[in-house]
Amino acid sequence: MINERVSYEQLLGISGCLALALLAHVTTLPLWVFAIIVACGLTRLWLARSGRGAPPRGVLIAFAALVMPLLFLRFHTFNGLVAGTALLSVTAGLKLLETKTQRDIYIITLIIYFVSLAALLEGDSFWLLAYLIGVCWLTTATLLRATSSGPAPGWRRSLRFGGRVLAQALPLALVFWLLFPRFAAPLWQIPNDSKTAASGLSDTMSPGDITQLALSDEIAFRVRFDSAAPPSQERYWRGPVLDYFDGHTWTRSTSGIGGAPPPLQPQGPAYRYTVMMEPHQHRWLFMLDWPSSWNQPRAELSNDYTLMEPEPLSRPVDVVGTSHTHVQYSEPLKPRTRMRELQQPQSRNPRTQQLAREMRSAHPDDMELVGAVLGMFRQQPFYYTLTPPKLSDNSVDEFLFDTKRGFCGHYASAFAALMRAAGIPARVVTGYQGGTLNPYGNYWILRQSDAHAWTEVWIDGHGWTRIDPTAAIAPERVESGLADAVNADDTLASRWQRKTPWFAGARLRLDMLREIWRERILDFDQDSQRKLLEMLKIPEPDGQKLVMVLGAAMALAFAWLTWQIHRELAPPSKDVTARTYARLCAKLAAAGIARKAHEGAEAYAMRVAQERPDLADTVVALCRHYSSLRYAPPSARITLGQFQAAVRAFRPKPRPRLAR
Amino acid sequence: MSSLRQAATNRLRAWAMRRHGRDSLPISIQRRRIYLLPTRFGVMLGAILGAMMIAGLNYNSNLALGFAFLMSSMAVVIMHHCNRNLQRLSVDVTPEVDAFAGREATFEFELRNGSNLDRRDIEVRCLSAAGMGNAAAQEGGTIEVIAPVAQRGVTRVHQFELRTRYPFGWFYAWTYVQGLITIYVAPSPAGTKTLPSAGAKGTGTHSEARGDEDFSGLRAYEPGVPLKHMAWKVLARGGEAAVRNYSSLAAQPEWLEWSALEGMDIEARLSQLCLWVLESDSAQRPYGLRLPGREIAPSGGAAHRFACLRALAAFGAGES
Repeated sequence: MINERVSYEQLLGISGCLALALLAHVTTLPLWVFAIIVACGLTRLWLARSGRGAPPRGVLIAFAALVMPLLFLRFHTFNGLVAGTALLSVTAGLKLLETKTQRDIYIITLIIYFVSLAALLEGDSFWLLAYLIGVCWLTTATLLRATSSGPAPGWRRSLRFGGRVLAQALPLALVFWLLFPRFAAPLWQIPNDSKTAASGLSDTMSPGDITQLALSDEIAFRVRFDSAAPPSQERYWRGPVLDYFDGHTWTRSTSGIGGAPPPLQPQGPAYRYTVMMEPHQHRWLFMLDWPSSWNQPRAELSNDYTLMEPEPLSRPVDVVGTSHTHVQYSEPLKPRTRMRELQQPQSRNPRTQQLAREMRSAHPDDMELVGAVLGMFRQQPFYYTLTPPKLSDNSVDEFLFDTKRGFCGHYASAFAALMRAAGIPARVVTGYQGGTLNPYGNYWILRQSDAHAWTEVWIDGHGWTRIDPTAAIAPERVESGLADAVNADDTLASRWQRKTPWFAGARLRLDMLREIWRERILDFDQDSQRKLLEMLKIPEPDGQKLVMVLGAAMALAFAWLTWQIHRELAPPSKDVTARTYARLCAKLAAAGIARKAHEGAEAYAMRVAQERPDLADTVVALCRHYSSLRYAPPSARITLGQFQAAVRAFRPKPRPRLAR
Repeated sequence: MSSLRQAATNRLRAWAMRRHGRDSLPISIQRRRIYLLPTRFGVMLGAILGAMMIAGLNYNSNLALGFAFLMSSMAVVIMHHCNRNLQRLSVDVTPEVDAFAGREATFEFELRNGSNLDRRDIEVRCLSAAGMGNAAAQEGGTIEVIAPVAQRGVTRVHQFELRTRYPFGWFYAWTYVQGLITIYVAPSPAGTKTLPSAGAKGTGTHSEARGDEDFSGLRAYEPGVPLKHMAWKVLARGGEAAVRNYSSLAAQPEWLEWSALEGMDIEARLSQLCLWVLESDSAQRPYGLRLPGREIAPSGGAAHRFACLRALAAFGAGES
């Protein structure tokens, strides 16, 4: 059976399953890997079609020797997830090419299972899981067809059988999944794949280079407030702080990272909330300005109040944090920090420096000066646009005096540069602002289109003060199809979405489902398991009790499975009389005298009486009862209940063992 | 490795023999006597499933872990299905088998499936040979196992094995049935000597012109008589089953004698006698067999032929 040659149909089936499993990797694997596998599959199918076998071994080895170095050149390792998947996929392709017997089909099936799992390590959507379970269902049905001797069972039959096996496996799998102990930390360091381009914010900002700001609807993170949310003008989510300016580009200076953050005095109410971060391949976490506590033990505040993880975020993280939207710095600015926050190249943007000097002499007070600059943005024809003109090295000069068009980055950059030139310490803060409330799930969605840049200036006696210059632009000068400026209460929703409210509603509902999926399924961890045990009324749950509960639940699931599977052998008979008689026969069989297929009740009773005189009376009476219940007129009968009770009470001792 | 495996199998077979004693056939296979192990591919699947679980745990991916658990549970379900494929299957076997040395013995196993499930790919192993068959729901099936037999003699098979890899072939379930099968291996028919009567042709009168076809009366029916000798007309009239007697059959019987083959070695003598039995049988003449200590009175028909062949098979084994 194992050495049977595979048929064209079997090859076609297993190749199709492999192709479907690999489809789940289409975004991560390089296209030429797919090309190789498809070429292998098609070649083998063509050979089988024309009645020929696999190509000779030499050809295969030469081909493998060609492909493997290619893979290594591309990835430099076989250890990472993507590289490992690529290696496995190519192996499957080569295996397909050399497939001769059923043995090879088994191996390809195993590879399909593993490749499917690898896809789930990368993606996390419900649809991906459903798709891959579907693929494995199909693979299993294909395997059933390939491994049955004689004519293969039909597709419908095989699929039904595979589906039934999956359905029967579900309860046991669920018990495992719910109760299997999770590790707090990985067993070994996960190799960090150089992922696809990071979306969202980066630690540099040069607004002059961007001529078209694409607003992506991609979700950056979600937030749930424990109580009421702060008003929109206070919902600033703090990301990286950029404090080095070269006249064109703002960068995060490396010198600013170390050291403890200066002490703050919170004012006003504290907000407690959970930030549900999507992975973004950077180290920072977006907290409400200004964070005071958080539950990530490895995360630390940098001295400019951005919360940083030690490693880039490669998977979703939930952070529970507390913030105050109003604070006061209790210590004066250190001279070194002041130096750094005033720095800017003297040779660049001369007109800006000239303007700053003029305004400074007119407004000696710092807050007055800030107000004057914001007034300038409001009164002069400054426009908010997502398609600003390109700016050269003296970007601030060009923006303030010539183009007067830009988005939040331009305004923050220009404002901070003006402040520094006027001798006020200033820096650019990037992050997200506002957000959309999802009324179905009562949480806020922050999309990439909510990304924002604002500034902080140091006001003596108050500390770092947030100034959002973009908010100063008059609403009538907001351009390019934007209904709401960034400072407005709502997100930058697309025009179409606003015209069709039901679409927006459906989208929010879908996002709510996604959020539930994330919270309940993807984020299921030790904590959730503890809550589960608490729900089961188990006092002081710990790992040991978890394992005990797992054992008990598994025993139950196994018992159910055994009953479920063996029940199909003999579906319970509707006929109570026959069932009771069958029970009697089973008891006698257990005692060593099984009824033979040809024996009627009377003949069987006679034989039992001969073999076991001690049981004779009871068994003969019982068998006679059965016969009369079956065949005698109703008047002559004992009742069915009596017969049942008698059979239940009948406990034959097993036959004494004969010495041999 | 394979010898280790062989030794383990032998231990298990002996243990099953002691545990269950001799089974009375037909036997319905109970769950507690079905053993189950993963096949080579089952072990590979186990390794892959383990790797899948470790990957899911290490990447802390709940989806991957769930997928790995689903696949593992599926393996457990398949294990149960494999075990179920044999359970409550009823099996019977023809207890006596005739064969010639150097050829094959054909064992016929009769499956009965009283359940509502199809039993597929049931393999029966007996005397290092195997046969495969199915038994549909509420039906039966016959599995033939054809095993080569080399040695003349009476062989007893005390145990045979039912085995299945269905479904998927990740696991195999098997059970031992302690049923007695007796194989009568007659000597391989060979020899150069002609029948004794042919050698003494001149003295006999029965084989002259009257020939085989001369009808000489009726006698009572006995099993094994060639069908063309049946008196069908008598039967059709409502009479007793009778056989037409021919003068050649009624004629003097042929004695196949051990002592006539003086000077040959034992097996060659037996082979010659076997050939003579077959020749006489196909010539449809009565013959008797005389072996040292054993004499079979002259007769004809299939039952007689088998009796003679079994006597030759049992020669020298102290077999009655």
